[in-house]
Amino acid sequence: MSSFDDELRGALRRVEPPPGFAERVLARVAAERARPGWRAHLRRVFGPAPLRLAAVAALALVIVAGVGYERHARGEEAKRQVLLALRITARQLQAAERGVQRLNARQREPKETIR
Amino acid sequence: MSQLALTDVFVPDAAVLTDADFAAIVREHQATVFSIAYNFLRDAGQAEELAQDVFLQFYKNLGRIESRDHAANWLRRATCHRAIDFTRKRAAAREVALESAPEPSSEPAARDPFLREHLRKLIASLPARKRLLVILRYQEEMEMDEIATAMKMPARTVRTQLWRTMAHLREKAARLLGEAGSGLATPPKGERQP
Amino acid sequence: MKRIITVLTLATVSLWAGPQDIKFPASLEKLADKAEEVTDITLDANTLGFASSFLSDKTKDEKAAKDLVKGLKGIYIRSYEFEEEGAYSMADLGEIRSQLKPPEWVSIVSVRSKKDGENTQIYLKKQEGKIVGLTILAAEPTELTIVHIVGSIKPEDLAKLGGNFGIPNISMGPAGDNWDDF
Repeated sequence: MSSFDDELRGALRRVEPPPGFAERVLARVAAERARPGWRAHLRRVFGPAPLRLAAVAALALVIVAGVGYERHARGEEAKRQVLLALRITARQLQAAERGVQRLNARQREPKETIR
Repeated sequence: MSQLALTDVFVPDAAVLTDADFAAIVREHQATVFSIAYNFLRDAGQAEELAQDVFLQFYKNLGRIESRDHAANWLRRATCHRAIDFTRKRAAAREVALESAPEPSSEPAARDPFLREHLRKLIASLPARKRLLVILRYQEEMEMDEIATAMKMPARTVRTQLWRTMAHLREKAARLLGEAGSGLATPPKGERQP
Repeated sequence: MKRIITVLTLATVSLWAGPQDIKFPASLEKLADKAEEVTDITLDANTLGFASSFLSDKTKDEKAAKDLVKGLKGIYIRSYEFEEEGAYSMADLGEIRSQLKPPEWVSIVSVRSKKDGENTQIYLKKQEGKIVGLTILAAEPTELTIVHIVGSIKPEDLAKLGGNFGIPNISMGPAGDNWDDF
């Protein structure tokens, strides 16, 4: 391999775009999705709904850098939602308990359903 | 509003890929796309605009992509075509025949510390298609038949044009860089005209 | 003090809705338009199972959550926070309350505090001696929250909610005096 080829490779090495590039692309995608005619275009590209389901499901598995990455991201989001849901439930139960305790304290009655 | 959408993969829409998923794809390939554009245009702003156009086009055509390799090849091909179109529409780079590229007025330094920058300028002076041939060969390390597919050219044409372009580049580099470029004009042993 | 209304919300996105026992009326969606902040959580059995595989046994909260969701078929939460009072009325809960009637559903706690502006109701659904549903309607002047849980619920599991997730201990449940008496 000649030094000229090496120098060329060095001159033409890959460089990363400025930071935030992916985000800027997403912003353009979002703007494009908002355009009328976008869904019609997708139907042309993807075909009828069942084919779209299959095509897109396969694409999601293949394209993303590893099925594991996607699954992990979704799992973490699911976990976050479960913990949030339980946190909200716990908070409401505790608020109800406080209410009962306050009423009990006022009315000096044992814990029971108060109507 | 926070709402889990685990089943969005089954939504019949390109948006089935979450933004995070598509961003991951962009990040995987952004250096390739941007670098082809940048080495072609030698302007970071225009290169980013072109690269964004490519990924937007990619997003619209997700349904046609069959594999990761296909995605990589599709992106390279699309970047090349957009680069050519970009040049035509905006006349961003005046194509100067390699032989007419201006030579520095000063005596070339014995050792030029900016050799690679000079090479980049020489490449930028190439006609659009030949410029892309060099970029795909030396940046992307693509084989001749891969370049032929990306550029929609016959493989033999790719070999011929690339060989001639490299010969001119070496000669030009040698003249431009003087002693610093000595040894660059001679093609490596074994490389012969196709 | 603010009156907090917790409203159990059924998912209106039918594609992903689980087997809720009660239907969330369309009027609740109108509240979403008026709310400053909306929390909308729809977790069906598949999602809960999937999430469970990511819950760790190593942290207290996650282990408690893992134990809790084991027998569950769904968790559905809608919570609306409004900028001002009066953005909703108790009539908005009427359609939901009408579904929480005996013999299927029994109200085990109903707490109203005019002073604090809070109105909280807890309903349980029992089948063959086991608790298979929990609904909480919690109303405050500028907040309305609905929690609807479907599936097998043990009172001691509910008590686990206290002492975890940043919430102090809840004494409801293991004392048993409310859960089993209806």
